Amino acid sequence: MASTPDTKTDSVVQPATGGRYREYFEEMPCYLSVHDREFKIIDGNRRFRRDFGESIGEFCYRVYKGRDEVCPNCPVEATFDDGASHGSEQLLTTRAGRSMPVMVHTTPIKDEHGDVVAVMEMHTDIHEVKRLQDELERTHARLSQLFEEVPCFITVQGPDRVIRHANRKFRETFGIDAVGKTCFDMYKARDEQCLVCPSQATFESGISQHHEEVLIAANGDKLNAMCTTAPLKNAEGEVEAVMEMCVDITEMRELQDQLTSIGLLVGSISHGIKGLLTGLDGGIYMVNSGFEKDKPERVKKGWDMVQRNVGRIRSMVLDILYYAKDRELTVEDVDVAALVAETADQLRKKASDLDIDLEIAVADDVGTFPGDAQAMRAMLLNLLENSLDACRSDRQKDSHTIRFEARRAAPWMVIEVEDNGIGMDRETREKAFSLFFSSKGLKGTGLGLFISNKIVDKHGGDITVDSAPGRGTRFEIRLPLEAKPSVRPEGV
Amino acid sequence: MTGPRILVVDDDPDIQDYFGFFLEDNGYLVKSAENADVALQMIEDFAPDVVLIDVMMPGRSGLDLLVTLRRHPRWSRTPVAMITGNDKVIEDDCRSYLGAHDNVRCPEAVLAKPVDRDTMLAVLGKLCSA
Repeated sequence: MASTPDTKTDSVVQPATGGRYREYFEEMPCYLSVHDREFKIIDGNRRFRRDFGESIGEFCYRVYKGRDEVCPNCPVEATFDDGASHGSEQLLTTRAGRSMPVMVHTTPIKDEHGDVVAVMEMHTDIHEVKRLQDELERTHARLSQLFEEVPCFITVQGPDRVIRHANRKFRETFGIDAVGKTCFDMYKARDEQCLVCPSQATFESGISQHHEEVLIAANGDKLNAMCTTAPLKNAEGEVEAVMEMCVDITEMRELQDQLTSIGLLVGSISHGIKGLLTGLDGGIYMVNSGFEKDKPERVKKGWDMVQRNVGRIRSMVLDILYYAKDRELTVEDVDVAALVAETADQLRKKASDLDIDLEIAVADDVGTFPGDAQAMRAMLLNLLENSLDACRSDRQKDSHTIRFEARRAAPWMVIEVEDNGIGMDRETREKAFSLFFSSKGLKGTGLGLFISNKIVDKHGGDITVDSAPGRGTRFEIRLPLEAKPSVRPEGV
Repeated sequence: MTGPRILVVDDDPDIQDYFGFFLEDNGYLVKSAENADVALQMIEDFAPDVVLIDVMMPGRSGLDLLVTLRRHPRWSRTPVAMITGNDKVIEDDCRSYLGAHDNVRCPEAVLAKPVDRDTMLAVLGKLCSA
């Protein structure tokens, strides 16, 4: 592409005259080109010629970008206009067709009157810078995606415990407006900093902290979490912020609790079985020795003992099954008068054998309530058997009575089981419904009342106990007459 | 009857009957108490040679009764055999519970449930002759 330099321009500008300056100009490690007012290139250095050819006399926009007209925001044009330097980023295409991002700087070349007669343009190859910049952006995007998507809660907190960043899982769980609020407010619904603050410890020591916390989600759920803090340091090595990462271990804890429960259950069962075996063993001894010594009274006592302990084993197994299988309620309209009568019938013989009166008080109009009749029977039987045990263990009174009452007191169906047995002290009363708590020594698994409570709870009702040592115990069960949504009769 | 005297403390009437008959069949004189308080009343008149205590009882536990007896001016030397469904627990409990009560002396014997009758006779025989 041979072309003749414009003689007029040439005579005015005479760029980089003098051998040494020309040499500098030629060897500059960037593209240098000189442009006239018509955007024609009137000079270029070696590197320019190497990559853009011998293009003197051609339009710069054609040479640099393959365009047919002046580029928008042309820095050369701007320099001609205002006589000042301009700079911008441009994308050039070399003669070989390679795209090249460059930083462009222009500088005016003036004549003796101070008029701009030409503009020198310097293009620095920022290909490498651009590449690093792109990579940085990609890395940044990747990191922020990672931060956002990590399946745990991450916050970055300032020294004032104010959350500066929070990832998606955190925002979804603890509230979308987390940024700007304090960590103790968002994580624990507290008004002030926690007594032990790992974030503060990390600010002070610069050392990562590990701790287990109970967090409160925006919906009120309690979450067990394993939290780790890490210092975020500035260039001077000072802790500028603390990142806190919390992993939700609620399910793991629940599993652990279940395992603990199973462990307790096994211990409790083996404990219970040893007690029942002692009872059976005793019964058998008494039957055998009664026969040997020809003492029918002793035989009868021993046989009762065997029967009683076999019965206990049966109810223990049922309790365990009920505990092991957390079955759903089968809800129907339960006829309370029938329920009370059926349950009482099952206990009547046992009660009369032990010389305990069973008093039934059910109003004629007591009616029905929505519930699971089978679960209710199991629950009431459990309470009644507790009462029998309580009466049998009591030697202070001459006669014992169990009162079994049902009445309607809207919005509740109220069922009461009351005895004048040994009663419970405060500790026993308070722990009565706890899993594996038993006051019966070896005879109890600590399941019965726990399950009774669970059954009543599932019906949307409640169960309360009133008891004093020596006086006796009264259980009051209240069951809603209107079904909760979760206990609607099947098919309704 | 003049045999050695055993005071059985157990809340379960079945166990009271069982131990009562069994020990009487073997020449002992037996009285039963259903809890610690009743036992402490009975002991004064009955003056047993050995007290047989169930560890797990409602209200005051067997260990509690043991501590009371050990500190009692009259009954502190009376041998005590404890009955438990979990002998590991009683060892641990004993050490920590009794440790917290001026290190009162541990029970002279521990019988595991279900109680082996021959073992029980052997233990009681030894305690009565001591």
